[in-house]
Amino acid sequence: MRNLIFCLLALIVLPAYMSGQVIKGKVVDNKGIGIPGAFVVATISKTTSDTDLDGNFSITAKEGEVLKISMVGFDAVSIKATGQEMTILLKESKDTDLKEVVVIGYGTRKKSDNTGAIAQLSTTDITKTKVLNATQAIQGKAAGVQVIGTDVPGSSPSLIIRGIGTFGADRTPLYVVDGIPTKNISNINSNDIASFDVLKDASSLAIYGNQAANGVVIITTKKGKGDKATTEYDGFYGIRTPLRKVKMASANQFANYTNTAEQNSRFADNQAYNTNWFDEITSLGTYSSNNLSLSGAADKINYLFSMNYYDEKGVLDGLDFSRFTFRNNNDYKISDKFKVTQNISVSFSKSTPKPLSAFTNAYKQSPLVPVQYENGRWGAPIVGDDGQAGTTGAVFNNVGNPVAQLNYFTEEQKSLLLQGSLAAEYKIFKQLKATSRVGIEYNNWKKFSYTPNRELWLAADPTRDITKYSALEPINELVTARSDYFNWNFDNFLTFNQKFAEKHDLEVTVGMTAQETGSREELEVQGRNVPENSNYWSLNLSTSLANNVVTNHFRGNSKSLIGYFGRFQYSYLEKYLLTGTLRRDGSSQFGADYKWGNFPSFGLGWVASKEDFLKESTTINFLKVRGGWGRLGNQNVPINQQTFSSGAGLGYELGGTLYTGTSIGTFIDPSLGWEITEETSAGFDFKAFNSQLSGSFDWYNKTTTNVILSVTPPITVGTGATPAHAGEITNKGFEIALRWDNVVNDNFKYWLGGNYSNNKNEVSNIYNPLAIKQQGGSIDNGQYTKQLEVGQPIGSFYLWEVAGKDVNGNFTYYDKEGGITATPTELDRKFFGSSLPTYYYGINLGVEFHKFDFSVDGYGVGGNKVYNGKKAQRFGGENIEASVATDFWTSSNTNSPNPAPFNAVPLASTYYLESGAFFRINNITLGYTLPKFSNTINGIRVYASAINPFISQKFTGYSPELNNDGNPLGTQGIELNAYPTLSSFIIGANVKF
Amino acid sequence: MKKIYIPLTLLTFALVASNCSNDFINVDPTESIAEKDLLSIYNNDEGAASFVTAIYSKNLDWNMSSFSWNGLSSMTSDDANKGSDPGDTGTDKDKCDALTLDATSLSVLDVFEANYQGINRANVALLYLPKLDQANADLKARLTGEAKFLRALMYFNLVRCYGGVPIVDHVPLPSSQADTDMTLTRNSKEEVYTFIENELLAAIAVLPEKYPTTDTGRATRGAARALLAKVYLYQKNWQGIKDQCAAITGYTLVSDYATIWREVGEDNTESIFEIRGYAGKPSQGIEGYMVSQGARGTSGWGWGFNTPTTSLSNSYEVGDVRKDATIIFAGETLWDGRIVSPKVANPMYNEKAYVSNKKETFNGGDWETTKNIRVLRYAEVLLMQAEAANESGTGDVTGPLNKVRKRAGLANTTAVGQIALRDAIRLERRHELAFEHDRWFDIVRTGQAKEVMAADGKTFVEGKNELFPLPQKFITQAAGKSAQNPGYN
Repeated sequence: MRNLIFCLLALIVLPAYMSGQVIKGKVVDNKGIGIPGAFVVATISKTTSDTDLDGNFSITAKEGEVLKISMVGFDAVSIKATGQEMTILLKESKDTDLKEVVVIGYGTRKKSDNTGAIAQLSTTDITKTKVLNATQAIQGKAAGVQVIGTDVPGSSPSLIIRGIGTFGADRTPLYVVDGIPTKNISNINSNDIASFDVLKDASSLAIYGNQAANGVVIITTKKGKGDKATTEYDGFYGIRTPLRKVKMASANQFANYTNTAEQNSRFADNQAYNTNWFDEITSLGTYSSNNLSLSGAADKINYLFSMNYYDEKGVLDGLDFSRFTFRNNNDYKISDKFKVTQNISVSFSKSTPKPLSAFTNAYKQSPLVPVQYENGRWGAPIVGDDGQAGTTGAVFNNVGNPVAQLNYFTEEQKSLLLQGSLAAEYKIFKQLKATSRVGIEYNNWKKFSYTPNRELWLAADPTRDITKYSALEPINELVTARSDYFNWNFDNFLTFNQKFAEKHDLEVTVGMTAQETGSREELEVQGRNVPENSNYWSLNLSTSLANNVVTNHFRGNSKSLIGYFGRFQYSYLEKYLLTGTLRRDGSSQFGADYKWGNFPSFGLGWVASKEDFLKESTTINFLKVRGGWGRLGNQNVPINQQTFSSGAGLGYELGGTLYTGTSIGTFIDPSLGWEITEETSAGFDFKAFNSQLSGSFDWYNKTTTNVILSVTPPITVGTGATPAHAGEITNKGFEIALRWDNVVNDNFKYWLGGNYSNNKNEVSNIYNPLAIKQQGGSIDNGQYTKQLEVGQPIGSFYLWEVAGKDVNGNFTYYDKEGGITATPTELDRKFFGSSLPTYYYGINLGVEFHKFDFSVDGYGVGGNKVYNGKKAQRFGGENIEASVATDFWTSSNTNSPNPAPFNAVPLASTYYLESGAFFRINNITLGYTLPKFSNTINGIRVYASAINPFISQKFTGYSPELNNDGNPLGTQGIELNAYPTLSSFIIGANVKF
Repeated sequence: MKKIYIPLTLLTFALVASNCSNDFINVDPTESIAEKDLLSIYNNDEGAASFVTAIYSKNLDWNMSSFSWNGLSSMTSDDANKGSDPGDTGTDKDKCDALTLDATSLSVLDVFEANYQGINRANVALLYLPKLDQANADLKARLTGEAKFLRALMYFNLVRCYGGVPIVDHVPLPSSQADTDMTLTRNSKEEVYTFIENELLAAIAVLPEKYPTTDTGRATRGAARALLAKVYLYQKNWQGIKDQCAAITGYTLVSDYATIWREVGEDNTESIFEIRGYAGKPSQGIEGYMVSQGARGTSGWGWGFNTPTTSLSNSYEVGDVRKDATIIFAGETLWDGRIVSPKVANPMYNEKAYVSNKKETFNGGDWETTKNIRVLRYAEVLLMQAEAANESGTGDVTGPLNKVRKRAGLANTTAVGQIALRDAIRLERRHELAFEHDRWFDIVRTGQAKEVMAADGKTFVEGKNELFPLPQKFITQAAGKSAQNPGYN
């Protein structure tokens, strides 16, 4: 059936060939630059043509007949054809909305004709906030698009489009970078991005079928333009510090608290040391970026070269990251009909990770412990008989020395990511274009880690003697690993576009895609006793060669996908809009009978402002009402093939030989299929008051069925958790975006924008009995904090509710009947909200005054809860916050919010649950463009920015923005081993030659 | 007209692509071997054996033979205390010691879960072995016997701990309701014992008396008989014990008791079945067995759990070599020359879990314990024979009993009469098998528990403490199909 469409298309376009005189010309803008893609119609000959990349056209027509030339974004003109080569000037249309084009799957669409919900972010949106990853920069700038930021150097923020609709499958959206599907854009230099389009609703997304359930972001990188070469430099330097710190108890306060908890006086009240551990493990972070690009257009080529070097020294000592990117984008016009586009992106990154648990250890380690004793040995939580920290005595907690921890943790990772695509566009007829594109992605990764075991042994106990270190133990261990993978995609599609009788505008796209996510192969080797000097960290130089072993050789499963798609877009008088898509996908992830899925969608639109009753309105300049429905899939689920586990882990020695064993660790349900998301959505876009006010409103109702969750079979089955269809999740919400633009005069313009998104996430059904009451949010002290429950959002905190305190100042809790108990049972737990916000919003304003530009971006979330995991993960003898140390329950201070001092694992209770709401100024930028003083330099702009300078939050921890593992049922929303949010101050300059 | 060829070419391409597409999306896994490749990869002797190797391997796991198993089988008894520092509970080992375990205690979950994980491996082996038609038939029969022996051992530990448990005798299909019911419904204690006996009888029929040295450590017919005798012991089937023990041949007691638990004593002449730690590269030892029981604190090498009680150390007769072979005393110099500081955290430690880093193969890793755990020894066979004879009133009681005493450096028993001999045999079991994971089950089996535990200062609640609770996780999953043990609701 799908092939029939090709035949039909071939038949439609054939009769378009006719004879006549050839008229040639060029369509240019007011700067004299050729306009590609303009549409030329000969009114009498009924022939049409459009312009090539340089604006040239040729059309079969008669001399003297009227040619109509039209182009999106320009006013149409009518002009008589002449025998000489014509030059036709088009003026930019005042109707600004016509200029705007959004990127849709396998094509673009005039914004006013689009029926879906697509948030488009510009180069300015992406590059103004100086962060590594473009996704982080768009936080708060688009409705329905939630970005959970992270300031760990080199890390990727999380992007959630219209709520989370899965438990166990992949949660990240699909990124399509110049036609290459990928899951991460941390290799993309933000300066190279021309547009960042977020496809939000199912009617837009369905063309990406089984990869679309989490939304799709289409990134288009820049191309060279203009008739001369432009060189541009952009660079900045900035400093970074934690936005907030938590004030911890002093050594004497710690002694007092712990003595009270232990009901003794083993800690003296005049401590010799008072270590601020947080300050000891952090220092001023710095970062810089230098970007150089060269772009332009020549005869048949337009080109762009760009290079960027980003370098960051983290606030956590030793946690550094750097990245070098290189890009080359060229378009070659082989002939009037044939164009070849080539993109190459190379990214090298290097990082030196450090354990983020150092933050937790710094929070927990007692201030009376010195970083190092006077004899140079590392401080340990030991209290002597004199009540002071000492090298001998009793160990009073199990927290490591975070400074020693960082000092002895040495790891380096290097990664090369190569992305490239080659696309050919061939214009078969004026109306029919064939596109064929190959994309590739290659990654090579390597790491080493060095562990000085002997030093760690010494650091753990200051009385240890180096000569007593067992000769059998390794002095140090070196682990080195390598991995690589290769992915490719091959897309072929035809686009047919024809306007009939000047009323019916039809565009049809049909095509196919094949994709393979290649096997990731990893090899890891380990040895011991290499020289201490890092130059010689090679296993060949080990003095214990017999201990060199391969510890891992892994060959990941590869994944393939084949998809067929078709879309028609119809517009009647640019007033009534209809879009329909169908995608059929086959995926290797599923069992034989479950591989194929169909993903249909439709969209409807009505441009009310083109109707007579609004046509003349000066208040409403544009109004479009739109709505749609679509079905999407999620193929990023575990492969459903039953496999054997084998190897050393199942091995056993018999008769002196170690044999490997074979068994089945997890049984896979052969009927595992897609997660299916269906979404109905509606909204409207408008412009009013001379287009000064623009905005949109969206409503959606999205249901994901067949949701896959890793469920543990009955214990007596004896196997591990297995993916199974478990339930249904709904996300309902609305989004509002508004913007006011005002150009007061040539020297003064300003704009003010805001957006608000509301999302209600709910686990609407759990039908798999094994998935009921699945627990999550473990804080690694035997306590869990979350549970899955029908009627609650995913990631709901499930805790004991503190009722008050007993006569000893210990917490009491409400039981399920509303009574009060000191020892609540599982049944007494209740739900107290989720780590998922119910709303988030952004505020953006900008002013341009003479040569100055100024902008402020703010972002906030609300309705979510965060759990103070570092405070709750207590075993005994750890430090406490100053607020607790100075105000805790005593018989004379019974109204304190804090219980009597205690040294035990606390129950997971509402005491540790706090509001996650915050409002933060994400960015303030002030720029100044220097007056032109040279003919070689086209412009210089200098700027200064403050990123995250202020936050208003209720949470008492470092940061309420806690993505962690990104899993609402995991550690998301729990502050434990979390990197603080940073505040950055930067200065930079942009120079164009 | 030639333009038509371009869409036609594309059309052809699309057709070809659609025909190929099903092949394209049939991707075989590379991370691990697909079930469909069973016959091409495992259909040989080595492949067949590997399924059974995996069952043996389960015995090395932390949750199977180590900390939690010590919690249930040892720390509960009057032979052992929790040990370690008072504040270090080892999650719930304080509750093991105080007999206050509840359904949510980790030890209760670990032992239950670990044994069923092992049973799954046995079920997987028994499912696939018959399909491997290229593997030697005799070998497959023997491997089936080994799998059944191992499965029986796991059910024996389950039934001793929890009473009747679900008999999962084949790999359950996720989609089968009957199989789900099987996994969630408790069988009676008697049904479980019958199942174990049938398993062992089937194993006895196919297992060899001896293996070539290249297969040392596999379950023998003698091991299956000794286990069957022990299973009968718990059911007071005295004749069954006599029959099985009489058929156990080829084993003799070694002369020096102290060497039994050292590396030199592995696979000695009285060894019937052991769990084998491997010290080679990569090491494959018993996870945490040594380190969790090693001396703690100054001069120590471990966490100091599962420590001998004064009750045990005071109960030995003068001259019993087993006292020093079983207990490490603070301040003593061990057989390998290691000096144990008098300042270690606890006065006594379990010497049967000690691995010398000087005189034994020590792989440098504390975690992978290279020492084998002795599961069945000939000394126990002798003691079972004595007990069966004494309880049934027929047969030689003192002969086998005195063999064990003689090796311990003690004179023949002075006990006369069934009652005195009963006490003598019980005390002999206590001393001979101390810290070999039997004391708790022995005092429960013989009905002494309340009295013995009271003497140790612990309260044994009759009608409750005979069994541990089933894990709450299982009770929740069973959703009414299985009831909790009495006293734990």
